[in-house]
Formats: sequence, structure tokens, C-alpha cells
Amino acid sequence: MGLSQRLVNWARIKSPWITLFNSGACNACDIEVIAALTPRFDVERFGILAQGSPRHADILIVTGPVTKKQAPRLRRIWEQMPEPKYVIAMGACGASGGVFRGLYHVVDGVENVIPVDVFVAGCPPRPDEIINAVVACLGLVKEDLAHGGKEWRQKKPTVIPRVETPPKEVTA
Amino acid sequence: MTEPALKPDAVQDALGDLGTVETVRWNRVKVSTKIEKVREAILRAQSLLACDHVVQISAVDNGKSFELIYHLTGPHRMVIALAIDIPRDKPEVPTTSDILPPAGIYERQIHDLLGIVFRGHPDLRRIILNEDWPANEFPLRKDWKMDPNKFYGGVPPEVK
Ligand code: SF4
Repeated sequence: MGLSQRLVNWARIKSPWITLFNSGACNACDIEVIAALTPRFDVERFGILAQGSPRHADILIVTGPVTKKQAPRLRRIWEQMPEPKYVIAMGACGASGGVFRGLYHVVDGVENVIPVDVFVAGCPPRPDEIINAVVACLGLVKEDLAHGGKEWRQKKPTVIPRVETPPKEVTA
Repeated sequence: MTEPALKPDAVQDALGDLGTVETVRWNRVKVSTKIEKVREAILRAQSLLACDHVVQISAVDNGKSFELIYHLTGPHRMVIALAIDIPRDKPEVPTTSDILPPAGIYERQIHDLLGIVFRGHPDLRRIILNEDWPANEFPLRKDWKMDPNKFYGGVPPEVK
């Protein structure tokens, strides 16, 4: 590993840049991410910087159940990010669709569209948990750097069976 | 609670011959009218009752028919709700986007989700559903069911 590469890796772990993408969330998750940037939680003291453009970011935080309209756009945003890129799916919605699961306009979870590295539980997760997730993600970055890529931890995708509930009869 | 400047009697005078007028709440009057009279009712509400603002157009599928309500208001703060009943087998209404410009976007939305056709609307494109949503599927209709064999858009199939 050359010196410049070592320098880049060090910088990457010391100062992850995150970007937020709302893929159809109810907005509470987004507000919690914004709260994590406020002086009370102040993630910038850890070097975590919120970045406006996905092209400059290392970590993509996705909130919401991914509506069908947003799914191709989320995919494009993810493709625009430079490698190595990491994805944090936020909240119950990001993991499985949450309260929106099974609706006609959602694809039930971020992992149906892009690979996810870290899930954060909660509806919405607290800012502490978001910071924790970013730190956990940094642990992954470190291990990936040691293994020379993400391949070592790739598993076969598991598909969660979708429970079909028949719609209620309308009595007029 | 201040009294609205527009008295329910004025609504009765202006729109009484187009349908039944009832006062639902202190600031809300509901006028149940017919499909073919709704444009006339809106024009009269604009000219006689100073209703220069459309709050929203709501539509609901009550199982038997579609209920479409135009909520109009003006400086007097009284909400006039013009309600019409649309038969399910022929869901067609004349557009109001020419006399009530903001209505056009509500009409696109209602057309998208409930499949009500607004005759004469200049541009009845999709607005809410994704672009690759199949035609003639209206998710807010009560008898609509998702067809598991159909692709409803969203994720490109090679990812799923
Ligand atoms: S997980 Fe909860 S708070 Fe977050 S977008 Fe979904 S419903 Fe909203």
C-alpha cells in the first residue's frame, strides 16, 4: 500500500462525509439526522460532515421505505457515489417498509434497491443511535480496508416473504 | 369565534337553484349539485360570493360512486363545498381548470389515483404515481387489488 493510499484511508476513517437521502420517509427520520448535526449532538467534533452532494460523500444515509418513484433515483444517487461507499438505512421503514410495508407505492426497504451495510432500528432512531451507526459503519470501513474490499462479508441475499393481507370488503 | 362575513343565506340565494344547500359548520356550507351544473356553480361562487381561492378538491370512493368536492373560499373565510356524485361506470366530469387554474393540478392527481376523467383538461398526465405504473390501475379505488403478475414499476427487475 502506497503512502498516498494510506493517507487517504486514514482520512476516510477520521472524517467520514455523509449525505442524506429521503426516499419517501415521513420526515421524522430526516429531522433526527438534522438534530444530530445541531450543537447538542454536534457530530462534527467526530469529523462527521454532512455533505450536500453524493459525489463527495462516503456514507449515504437513506430514510424511508423507498417509494417506487424514488427507487430508480436512489439507485442513480448510489451509483454516483465514489467507491468505497457505505449505506446506512434508517428506521423501521428503511429496514422493512415499517408502517408503509405492503402499500402499493413502496418497494419495502432500502435493501431491495441498493446494498445496505448498517441498519438503524427505531421509528425514528435517536441522534445518538445515528452517531452510533456511523461509528459502526467506520468499523466496517476499517475491516474492509484490512480485507481489501467488501467481498469478504457478502452473503447470499435473503428475501423476506411478503405477507399479503386481503383488502377489507367495502360495505356501502 | 367571529362570524364569517358571508351569511349562509347569501349562498342559498346564489346557488340554491343548483342543488341543496346545508350549513355543515359555522364557516362551512355544503352545496350538493350535479355534474353538469358544477361549472355554473363555480362561476357563480366566483362572481356572486367572491370565492377567489380553491382550497382543495377532494375525491373519495364510497363504494357506490365517487364523491368529488370542490372547496372554495375567499376573503370572507367561509368555505363553500360544492359536492358532486360521479357514477362508477362513467367517471367523467368537465374540467374546471380553465375557470379555476389551480384546479388543474388537483384534477391530475385525482385522475391518477381514482381514474376520474376530467373532460377538456389540457394535460392529464401522471403526477403522483411513478411513470412506469401500468395504465388503467387506480390504487385508491376500493375494488382495486394489486395483481401479483404485473410489474408496478419502481425497482428495475434485475435488482429485485
Ligand atoms: S421509520 Fe418511522 S420516523 Fe422513520 S420514516 Fe419511517 S415512519 Fe417515519
